[in-house]
Amino acid sequence: MPSVNGMERLPLDLDTLRARLAEERGPVLWRSLEELADVPEVRRYVEAEFPDIQTATVDRRTLLRLMAASLALGGLAACDSRQTVTDAPLLSQSHNVPGYTPGEPLVIATSLELNGYGRGVLVRAQEGRPVKIDGNPLHPATLGATDVFAQAEVLSLYDPDRSDSPLQNGLPRSWEELTEFIRPVRNELVVGEGRGLHILMPPTSSPTLARLTSLSEQLFPLAQWHRYSPIDEDNFRAGAETLFGRAVDAIYDLTRADVIVTLGGDLFLEEPGHIRYAADYQARRRADDRPLPRLVAVEARPSLVGARADERVALRPRDIEVFAQGLAAALDAGSAHPSEPHPAIGRLADELRRAGARGLVTAGREQPPRVHALALAINARLGAFGTTIRAIEPVRPASGENGSIVALAEAIAAGQVSRLLILGGNPVYTAPADLDFGALVRRVPLSLHLGYHRDETALACHWHVPEKHPLEGWGDLRAFDGTVGLRQPAAMPLKASLGVEEFLGLMSGQMVDGRSLVQATWREVWGDAFEERWLKVLEDGVVEGSASPPIDVSPTPEWNAGAPGPAPSSGIDVVFSPDPSVWDGRFANNGWLQELPKPLTKQVWGNAALIAPETAEMFGLATGDAVDLTVEGRTLRVPVWVLPGHAPGAVTLPLGYGRTQAGSIGSGIGFNAYLLRQSGHPWVAQGEIRTTDERIALISTQLHHALQGRDIVRVTGPDPADTAQPGETEALPSLYPEWRYEGYAWGMAIDLDACIGCNACVVACQAENNIAVVGPEEVARGREMHWLRIDRYYAGDPTEPDTYFQPVLCMHCEKAPCEVVCPVNATVHSAEGLNDMVYNRCIGTRTCSNNCPYKVRRFNFFDYHGAEYAASPEALNPQVTARSRGVMEKCTFCVQRIGAARAEARIENRPIRDGEIATACQEACPTRAIIFGDVNDPDSAVSRLKRSPRNYALLGTLNTQPRTTYLARIEADAERQPADATDKE
Amino acid sequence: MASDVQALTSPVAEVPLSPRFGWAWWVALVISGVLVLLLGYTLMSVVLVGVGVWGVNIPFVWGFDLINYAWWIGIANGASLFAASLVLRQHDLRTAVNRFAEGVAFFAVICAGIFPIFHLGRPWLFYWVFPYPATFQVWPQFRSTLTWDFWAISTHAIVTSLLWYVGLIPDLATLRDRARRKTVKKIYGLFALGWRGSVYQWAYHQRAYRLVAILVLPLILIMQSTVAFEFAVTLVPDWHETRQPLHFVATGLAQGLSIVLLVAVMLRWGLRLERYIDDRDVDLLGKLVLASALVSGYLYIDEIASAFLADPITRQSTLTRMTGDYAGFYWAAIAYSVVIPQLFWLKVARQSVLAGVFVGFSIGVGVWLDRFSIIIGGLQTDYLPSIWRDYTPTIPEWGLFLGTVGLFAALVLLFIRFLPVVSMFETRHDEHLEKS
Repeated sequence: MPSVNGMERLPLDLDTLRARLAEERGPVLWRSLEELADVPEVRRYVEAEFPDIQTATVDRRTLLRLMAASLALGGLAACDSRQTVTDAPLLSQSHNVPGYTPGEPLVIATSLELNGYGRGVLVRAQEGRPVKIDGNPLHPATLGATDVFAQAEVLSLYDPDRSDSPLQNGLPRSWEELTEFIRPVRNELVVGEGRGLHILMPPTSSPTLARLTSLSEQLFPLAQWHRYSPIDEDNFRAGAETLFGRAVDAIYDLTRADVIVTLGGDLFLEEPGHIRYAADYQARRRADDRPLPRLVAVEARPSLVGARADERVALRPRDIEVFAQGLAAALDAGSAHPSEPHPAIGRLADELRRAGARGLVTAGREQPPRVHALALAINARLGAFGTTIRAIEPVRPASGENGSIVALAEAIAAGQVSRLLILGGNPVYTAPADLDFGALVRRVPLSLHLGYHRDETALACHWHVPEKHPLEGWGDLRAFDGTVGLRQPAAMPLKASLGVEEFLGLMSGQMVDGRSLVQATWREVWGDAFEERWLKVLEDGVVEGSASPPIDVSPTPEWNAGAPGPAPSSGIDVVFSPDPSVWDGRFANNGWLQELPKPLTKQVWGNAALIAPETAEMFGLATGDAVDLTVEGRTLRVPVWVLPGHAPGAVTLPLGYGRTQAGSIGSGIGFNAYLLRQSGHPWVAQGEIRTTDERIALISTQLHHALQGRDIVRVTGPDPADTAQPGETEALPSLYPEWRYEGYAWGMAIDLDACIGCNACVVACQAENNIAVVGPEEVARGREMHWLRIDRYYAGDPTEPDTYFQPVLCMHCEKAPCEVVCPVNATVHSAEGLNDMVYNRCIGTRTCSNNCPYKVRRFNFFDYHGAEYAASPEALNPQVTARSRGVMEKCTFCVQRIGAARAEARIENRPIRDGEIATACQEACPTRAIIFGDVNDPDSAVSRLKRSPRNYALLGTLNTQPRTTYLARIEADAERQPADATDKE
Repeated sequence: MASDVQALTSPVAEVPLSPRFGWAWWVALVISGVLVLLLGYTLMSVVLVGVGVWGVNIPFVWGFDLINYAWWIGIANGASLFAASLVLRQHDLRTAVNRFAEGVAFFAVICAGIFPIFHLGRPWLFYWVFPYPATFQVWPQFRSTLTWDFWAISTHAIVTSLLWYVGLIPDLATLRDRARRKTVKKIYGLFALGWRGSVYQWAYHQRAYRLVAILVLPLILIMQSTVAFEFAVTLVPDWHETRQPLHFVATGLAQGLSIVLLVAVMLRWGLRLERYIDDRDVDLLGKLVLASALVSGYLYIDEIASAFLADPITRQSTLTRMTGDYAGFYWAAIAYSVVIPQLFWLKVARQSVLAGVFVGFSIGVGVWLDRFSIIIGGLQTDYLPSIWRDYTPTIPEWGLFLGTVGLFAALVLLFIRFLPVVSMFETRHDEHLEKS
């Protein structure tokens, strides 16, 4: 007899039951004999378990309809139960439009901010859950590519440490309590016209924010506005202003440049248009009809541009100014010759002069205003404005950012600030150390911080309000060239939070709804055309034709380059730089970025003071030695990193580490270089080094840097001869017969000439393929999980090395050595030539890794997806298995994308088109260095590349017949070959 | 006459049958028992947490697991090769050392067998290398050396245990006959398989014993080579060499002999078995150890010489083993397993207990260092310099190693406690021959 849990045994009377059934009309469905008996106990039980059934009068059809509806809505509700009209996401592609298939990802065009500038991206969301970000091909700042920061925003969105409720003096408060508190404060401010109110925001290019700011300014005319970002543009602005007499932004067009000289900075990593510049430079290199461009990097700290450059001049920062002056003098661009011009100046001046309008000189943001002015003056002299460079109205209307925070600090110190709003950013952490900004903020009678994390600033303020993630809210951003892109939510807000727009809207008495605020801005601009344009812009992600028009500028006659300031007498130049992984520190709690090997040092989970080999020799230092670095009386103990190619007499301090309140991942990693930063000269300072006995463990993923005379990275001249070694093209003998591929045969070509080492592919791969973050201890043991790594080799003298990047991923060898040694067939060849990894078949002998000459296989030594540094499960791509402990994994050529394309092609009854499948790494690459496709199709892009004389197989002599091949790097100076340098480590 | 001969072997038989065994045995058993517990702990930590508790990484995916495996297999192979050839040649020495040479081989196989299972990322799925009729119809991959290894180690375990057990049967019967307590009698009787000592039985027994011994000969060579193939078959430059199997067989033999010598002199001294393991036996064993060490020495010279003839990458790999971070292991291996055994040119040394223990131990250590040098040092400079790294063993790995040493010691201790360490029937047979 079936028994019901928690019920006493009931006697059954079959005859009564039969009688009862006979009375009913139609088929009667009963769940148990007890229920059928309709005894009071059972009725009580049923009522308790399904109280609705008793009360609701619902027929079967309605019930089924309701169930279907609730199942369908369940997916939506899973995103956010607080769904309101104002937060309705994805206006142009909502969930219930016809054609939406559950399981099919939605792609949402939006913009991501970095330093106030927008980068257009496409967010792939799976069931309302963003899982991958790629560049928006229509957006001028990305052209479809991305950088590491854009890729990693997905992980930041799901950051478990993000702020989830307002805080008052560190104690959680409800939103109602916040509103109750704020309302009288606001009213009082309105009455007082904003007297004593200071607002600190990071500079932004957003038109909506600009509109709301001016609205607020009208409401609070006495309020003071401050703009501060630690990665400021003060020097460029000041330089341009002295030269042209007006504020401008400079936009470079590298596709038209023949000779490029960069003075510091990093065109491919740190400029607002860095993705575009990298893409443009490579496009220029690929131009068949013109000789190769020449790129010369004059810099103190090795950069990606320096690594790619045809010529590098390593100068300590104070000498770069002299160099710039000499170059300007040699080109007759209005400055006096320095006393001792650098020997390279004459040659570079000649080259620039020959290039004329196709020459370009750029200066990095850390260079003093004078260098910027000189660079712009040279460009003007060359006639480059209009070809390789154009001036536009400033996209980010802020200047004097440092001055701005200094002014705020002074106002607080003078007791003029009674109300302080910090809208975004983390100034308590990033402000120059001499301001002691944290202590000042604590002195303000009432301060409020709007921020994503409960960070250093949140703790220093009285109130903290959670900020929306850029993927959750509405907004707009302008790209480096002025092009407007809209920001629309790709996810329902995961936590109750406010965007900066919404906060300003609230303050200025507007509505709180981000979409309406953005719409209001554009309704003003577009007028009647608003309705049709709005949807189109949401779909495209960019406002077509909104790039800023070039403006005519010419050096003012009264401009005088003047003489460089007196050279500092002694000490070492201390240069600050944004970090290639965590930027200014905002990405410190992002595991993907913390574990991302920095392009040149390959350091992870920390920063180090970069010094030249000569400096190391002088002080007797080795990588990992701690030194005491003193800048204007402030001393910091930092580990040094001996970086080949760094200018002697200088030390570079990457910003963004040493956070104390970053979250569970980012706190307490590295040292905080802001502690040495001075508001007077935030980028270059003078300091003293004192050696200590201490050593600080640094973690790197690559310990050996020389090619050992092996032809791993090949280099060819501008007229690419056959790079294949003699005998390499002949078929080598093999025990196993060749396989004929009837259908597709997937392959990849990686152009080493295009790879700038920017790492975008590494994070893209991590995001697409659910690659685990293992943490510093595990990386130190050599267990990082990246399927795609970028090997960086040096050749030549360590003081002026040649730098080579080589992305290495699974080669998908035709005769894969890993396959024959696996005892359980866990790694096998597919009919399309993929070297497949069958995770659930793998028992973890690890012998495949032993037999892989490329060492691209990664092993789950622990359960990394369940461990300390694991990404939030929501960030995982549902198309890719999250690997369990004890199995091997490796690059799959994004087999899930191949599968999706195959399904689509089959539905449409056609073959897969060339270019239809792009691997995640390929999609992210700004320079299109990675091309994937069908090598069986002679016309495919990858086949064409593989026919190039530059094509070669890595370790081809082993007869592994890799499907991934490399195209040799092109050096204008064909003599320059990776030398037989031996490893010094 | 017969009773004389019976009396001859009674001290050997007395040992397993005596109710007391002395405190030294207990102390030794407790120490090794603690180590066995340590082994259990380290194995459980690997199963529950993952092989990440070891110092392994990419590219050093194998660490102590395979080092110890190769080492124990070497002992097993050396000892059983030695025992089998003595049986086949009916050499005098066999009476003295065969039993525990076979025992040593079997126990070493047990210790070795732990590693291929527990070194897996998912050890609970180890049976997937068996050719069992899985529903998903995937067979083991027969091109994989690890599949070969599965067959090698299981064959090895079967053959060495058979060799040991077949040799034990008549002696088990003797123990059964002499046992005073009924349960003991029954236990020994069960394993004696109804041995009555009839001429038929003796004839069959001799045939079986020699048959198994013959089987051992080729198998040992194949098995030791299979272990070597795990390295030689890969593309790793320093491993990918045809000399690898020879190196493993020869050094393994030296190691097996040295452990047999070690156990022999210790038993002789500890159990007062001078009569059964006489000076001549020990001397002969010493000479064999010396000869095998010379062969190892020859192979090291061959390795150095062939490194210079190899292609540049292989040469650099081998030179890194000799001069790189792990060079100490390489040179210490040569010192311990080739140089120190040269002591045995002196007859005094060959017959000294201390020297026997010292040399036996030294070769054991030397071959372990050699395995470390091959598995770790050989991987250090692979093809792409970007992934060159280091390997540092962790405490759990040391625990694993000491644990298997403890297991081995515990098995030897139990063996000498409960079974005759010297073949009684062979001793009687020899005495008969001498008398007639």
